[in-house]
Amino acid sequence: MSALTNGLLIYAALAAALAGFAGLSLAMDRHWEALYGRGSSPGDKTRWLQACGTAGLLLSLAASLALKGATQGWVMWLGALTAGAVVVVLTLTYHARRLIPLAKAAAASAVVATIAAQAAYAL
Amino acid sequence: MASTIRYRAGVLSRTVAAIAGGYGLSALIAAALALTLPTTRAEAAMTGTLTAFVVYPVAVMWVFACASALRAWTGLLLASLLPGAVVLALGAFTGGAA
Amino acid sequence: MKEGLRQSMAWLHTWTGLLAGWILFLVFCTGTASYYKDEITLWMKPEAHQSMTRQVAPAAATANAVAFLEQRAPKSDRWIITLPSEREPTLRTMWAPPPADPARQGEQRPRRARFGNATLDPATGEELAAARATRGGEFLYRMHFDLHYMPVIWSRWIVGICAMFMLVAILSGIVTHKRIFKDFFTFRPAKGQRSWLDAHNASAVLALPYHLMITYTGIVTLMFLYMPWGVKAVYQDERDKFFTELRQDVAIDPKASRVPAALTPLQPLLAQATAAWGEGGVGRIVVSHPKQTNAAVALYRRDGKQMSVDQPAMVFDGVTGAPVSPPEQAAAPAAQTQGVMIGLHAARFSSAALRALFFVAGLAGCAMVATGLILWAVKERQKYAKALAKGGRVGFGLRLVDGLNLGAIAGVPIAIAAYFWSNRLLPVELAERPAMEAAWFFGAWGTAAVLAMARPSRRMWQILLAVGGVLFAGLPILNLLTTESHLGYSLSHGLLQIAGFDLVVLVIGIGLLFAAKRMGKSRMNKVNKVNKANDPAPVLASGGAA
Repeated sequence: MSALTNGLLIYAALAAALAGFAGLSLAMDRHWEALYGRGSSPGDKTRWLQACGTAGLLLSLAASLALKGATQGWVMWLGALTAGAVVVVLTLTYHARRLIPLAKAAAASAVVATIAAQAAYAL
Repeated sequence: MASTIRYRAGVLSRTVAAIAGGYGLSALIAAALALTLPTTRAEAAMTGTLTAFVVYPVAVMWVFACASALRAWTGLLLASLLPGAVVLALGAFTGGAA
Repeated sequence: MKEGLRQSMAWLHTWTGLLAGWILFLVFCTGTASYYKDEITLWMKPEAHQSMTRQVAPAAATANAVAFLEQRAPKSDRWIITLPSEREPTLRTMWAPPPADPARQGEQRPRRARFGNATLDPATGEELAAARATRGGEFLYRMHFDLHYMPVIWSRWIVGICAMFMLVAILSGIVTHKRIFKDFFTFRPAKGQRSWLDAHNASAVLALPYHLMITYTGIVTLMFLYMPWGVKAVYQDERDKFFTELRQDVAIDPKASRVPAALTPLQPLLAQATAAWGEGGVGRIVVSHPKQTNAAVALYRRDGKQMSVDQPAMVFDGVTGAPVSPPEQAAAPAAQTQGVMIGLHAARFSSAALRALFFVAGLAGCAMVATGLILWAVKERQKYAKALAKGGRVGFGLRLVDGLNLGAIAGVPIAIAAYFWSNRLLPVELAERPAMEAAWFFGAWGTAAVLAMARPSRRMWQILLAVGGVLFAGLPILNLLTTESHLGYSLSHGLLQIAGFDLVVLVIGIGLLFAAKRMGKSRMNKVNKVNKANDPAPVLASGGAA
């Protein structure tokens, strides 16, 4: 696996974890309120956020397994989850407004990185 | 004040039960597994030892979750009966009972 | 205890965490640093930095090592050669002391201490004699489980007991944490005790798989010391048989034949191993009874392909070069499990990215222990609120904990930084240099600890954290002033290990300075400010944050 594929997959694993946790956190009333004020709630969007969040975490898992194989991949994934969660917690606490743009950027770039990694690997 | 003394005695009793009693139970389980598991003896000894370190913290937590120190001791003793019997029966230790 | 399960587990969590906390903080800090012990050692040997830029083929390096050992330790019964790698580009050799050494009789020190060792330049085979004597990252790594200044058996028991306390603390913490999912992303700063609890929860839960893994595997690494009964039950007094049977080791004759014979050239053996394991696949070569008739050469695969710390080995007859080991067989499940567990703990298999993630998780562990200790003190202080308001003082227990907390949490970083400073400042030619570097570590820590015990006030927290921050952040500057491998040089020459060290310590230093700054801003209202004058330790009651 080339250094480029390596790097892309590492990035994908981290970014997807971040996006995933961002989604899951916003699905909770408590954190939605941090952005939209007390008493607000995601309502209809809850399921959608949870689904997207979970998808992000699974994409992170896939990237980790692709990068490191069946055993080390899980270890890598747990590490990516920790890193992603820490960033989400800090963003929610200190820059809540930036969470959604950050999450969107992370999600989009994670998907792009995964596809690019596939391409780089195939070539 | 009597209740404080009773409380502290209870804590002390449980602490001894958890640390010493828990260790004893784990050691017996390690030995019993080592003696009885159907794999090679090296494998059995290894598995027994690995298991002991799962048993130990659980035993400690259980001791402190018990409703009374007496129950904690009783429970530990009861749990030790089977592995203790196995170890005694298979005559593991030179110089008598574990 | 008539309370429910949650409450009894909260009690257990508090006490196991507190009593073992200060030692655990040291263990976590040194352990986290140990992920990069090779890089630390390199940074601490500036003279070796030049040789890093050259790539040397394993065959050439091996030949140089053998030539060196033949000259330096011809009568030794065991040679150990560690080939250069990306992380550790020097060629390392170790050898057992010659057998007829009267000094060895009746000695108590562990066998390793009696081994000779030398670090060589792989291209020339010459000892990096110019490299200053230092234990480098190994000092921190060994402190992680051997502590210092005491027989290792004692320290391993102390660390082991603390690890068991830690395991109980983690498990009871999970049981007692009521809203582990709801609180997952919650952190509310500047709210006093609530904030410390949030920080403790976050650092614990967000890296929970790591904390569980690292604690259990840490115990497993020394488990036969702590729990010999399984082996004893089956093997009675023949403990050594257990280890050979477990690893299905090729039995190497332990006794030297003392009859001289030529040592087979190692290059063909290296070639065979490389064919099986790939380019650069050989990590270590151990020659037993070199230059004797029953010599044996064992080649071990380099770390990185598999998680288990037990690397496959190819064993050859040391005189004829004929392969002796049976075809590679997978270790049996339990042995494999132990190997993987130790492997996970030491993380030698990990790539750069994984290692960085482990490091981050380790830092979270340090934060978990520190916030837990501080949380205890903050909570306990509430009980003295009335007494303090009247100008009274806190109880002895809390006073002691305040001092120990500060001495540990601010003291250990100061000690580690002082160790690095000593490496650059002590004269290169100094006798007993490694011992002096260690003395700086403990001297700095001792000073900080005395200050902390004497006056664990908010001011002292500020001062000690700031000192640690300055010491850490100042390291790249010190590096610039005392060596040639400063950040500009290391980055432009691809010496990423050196550059990484400078950058990471800079970030840690800035972090400590930031913490010190936050200690300075008091959120206490006017009423409490009056009491601040009376109470020497109003520390952290307001959350220590702006």
